[in-house]
Amino acid sequence: MTSAAEFVGVSQKFGDFTAVDDLSLTIAEGRLTTLLGPSGCGKTTSLRMLAGYSRPTAGTIRIAGRDCTRVPPERRDLGMVFQSYALFPHMTVADNVGYGLKLRRVAKEERRRRVMETLELVGLAHLAGNRPKKLSGGQQQRVALARAIAIRPKLLLLDEPLSNLDARLRVQMRAEIRRIQAETGLTVVLVTHDQDEALEMSDDMVLMRAGRVMQQGPPREVFPAPANRFVAEFLGYENFLADAEGRTLTVRPENLRVAAGAADADAPAGPGGLLLRGTVAHIAYRGADLLVTVDATDDTGAAVRLLCDVRGGAAEGLSPGGEVTVDAREGALVRLPD
Amino acid sequence: MNTRRPVAAALAVAGYVVMLVPILFVVVTAFTAGSTLRFPPEGLSTRWFEEALGYEPFLTALVSSLQLAALATALALLIGVPVAVAIHRGRIPGKGLVEGLFLSPLIVPELVVGLALYQQLMIGFGLDSLTALTLGHTALMIPYAVRVTGASLALADPHVEEAARGLGASPLRTFATVTLPLLRPGIFSAALLSFVTSFNNVPLSLLLQTREFRTLPVTMLDYVQQSYDPMVAAMATLILAGTVVLAVLAERTVGFAKIFGGINR
Ligand SMILES: Nc1ncnc2c1ncn2[C@@H]1O[C@H](COP(=O)(O)OP(=O)(O)O)[C@@H](O)[C@H]1O
Ligand SMILES: [Mg+2]
Repeated sequence: MTSAAEFVGVSQKFGDFTAVDDLSLTIAEGRLTTLLGPSGCGKTTSLRMLAGYSRPTAGTIRIAGRDCTRVPPERRDLGMVFQSYALFPHMTVADNVGYGLKLRRVAKEERRRRVMETLELVGLAHLAGNRPKKLSGGQQQRVALARAIAIRPKLLLLDEPLSNLDARLRVQMRAEIRRIQAETGLTVVLVTHDQDEALEMSDDMVLMRAGRVMQQGPPREVFPAPANRFVAEFLGYENFLADAEGRTLTVRPENLRVAAGAADADAPAGPGGLLLRGTVAHIAYRGADLLVTVDATDDTGAAVRLLCDVRGGAAEGLSPGGEVTVDAREGALVRLPD
Repeated sequence: MNTRRPVAAALAVAGYVVMLVPILFVVVTAFTAGSTLRFPPEGLSTRWFEEALGYEPFLTALVSSLQLAALATALALLIGVPVAVAIHRGRIPGKGLVEGLFLSPLIVPELVVGLALYQQLMIGFGLDSLTALTLGHTALMIPYAVRVTGASLALADPHVEEAARGLGASPLRTFATVTLPLLRPGIFSAALLSFVTSFNNVPLSLLLQTREFRTLPVTMLDYVQQSYDPMVAAMATLILAGTVVLAVLAERTVGFAKIFGGINR
């Protein structure tokens, strides 16, 4: 796997505040890498350094093997889609998309052809003559995407591309962006704070917190094996408890099973490796499922509050204050590295 | 007008009446055939327009006023536009201070500015009236230029210039193809506003004029103090006509919404 871009020990300080802290990262060629983390963790700052809009206070940024740390954005050949789209309001859709080609002195006919080709790729060829302000948010976003793709950039950078769209469109656009990436073969770096989006779209995901990388890898490797409590919490592992040796275990709400009645004190744990007795503290109705909160005691004797996602008939016999037994599905219990 | 809000509608009508009726009086009086400034006019004629256009002091003053307004407007834009760009787009230290400095003349009474310029420039440095007035008017217009051109930038997406850079445009190219087009309606409205404000200014001109250089409003003011004939009403009507022509041209070329909104979206 060759690298399309690399961060080597990159830091960004704003005054005393460190927004990105010693970031080292490889963006693999032809893949979609997401930078995932809560708001303010330094995702946009990292993307802006990669694009050349701000200069790192330390470290090196390489694009296609070349040190680009001090290269201005206009000579990096990257396509950036801003969160606000930043379309040129005084130009038509076609002129927006053709802007980068014009700067590259692509002849008029060829330019027209490539603009239309790119607009077709994003499904907007029929709006070529319109001004951006006449377009819906989703259409504006496609124009921004087309404008960035038209120059055939070395990398396509997307800053929270879906967060300004309504929920339904957001989910559609995930597949749409993947389709466009597959058709163009572009290397994509996508910033998001939405773990579902990252899990669905990424080839590689990079989890960030306070300017540092917490874990990275393909979703299928990261999701079942969070490297620490932060990553686990961020990916929706709600429950944390200790095993008999005091090591931290975590398990997702949908992987806990709740049965009415207390199990025998010396009953053996099932194939899931967990058997706890407790009482129901609260039951929340959520339509398709119930979220049952159970107060229990873990194997070290510490009190734990467990969130259990219970579906369909499995909720029978549960009521607040009732005694219950909680166990885990096989293979669902994850031990966090120390 | 919104008929479901009778009070607001009534107030709006009252507002128009208060603004337009005095103007109407002046215009109607200008067409009198009589020889005193009086309403209702006695008979109908254009004789006072002929008189006004033949009255040497008015014509000289008109040329002076136009010259002054053009110079002051050009200078105010030359300084104001880069300042607006710097305030809204630049990464300059002490941005707030710069902004305050360039907007402050808005709240300093014009007579104070005039007096200061009179003492410093004309007495101190011996500058002539046109130069002193140009400097004074420019100082007064800069805040408008900064405000109005700045408004069009403040409303635009702050990342459009970065987008252009990312697509391969040099900083200069970015300014020419993105920033300037965004600024254009703002510049147009600032120019219009500056020109009209300078043309109509009295307080500064009163202090900084000399026998050789007088502006039209001051000359007209002098004239009213000496004579009651309707020539001054005719002159005022001509100025009004000029302003209306300017406004119509502006509306035709750019559109009021864009000019006074200063927006290009
Ligand atoms: N130009 C700047 N000056 C000062 N602080 C900044 C600047 N840009 C970003 N920050 C701060 O750096 C942190 C990371 O910001 P950002 O990269 O935008 O986070 P996000 O992960 O939400 O995209 C935030 O706390 C933000 O307030
Ligand atoms: Mg961000």
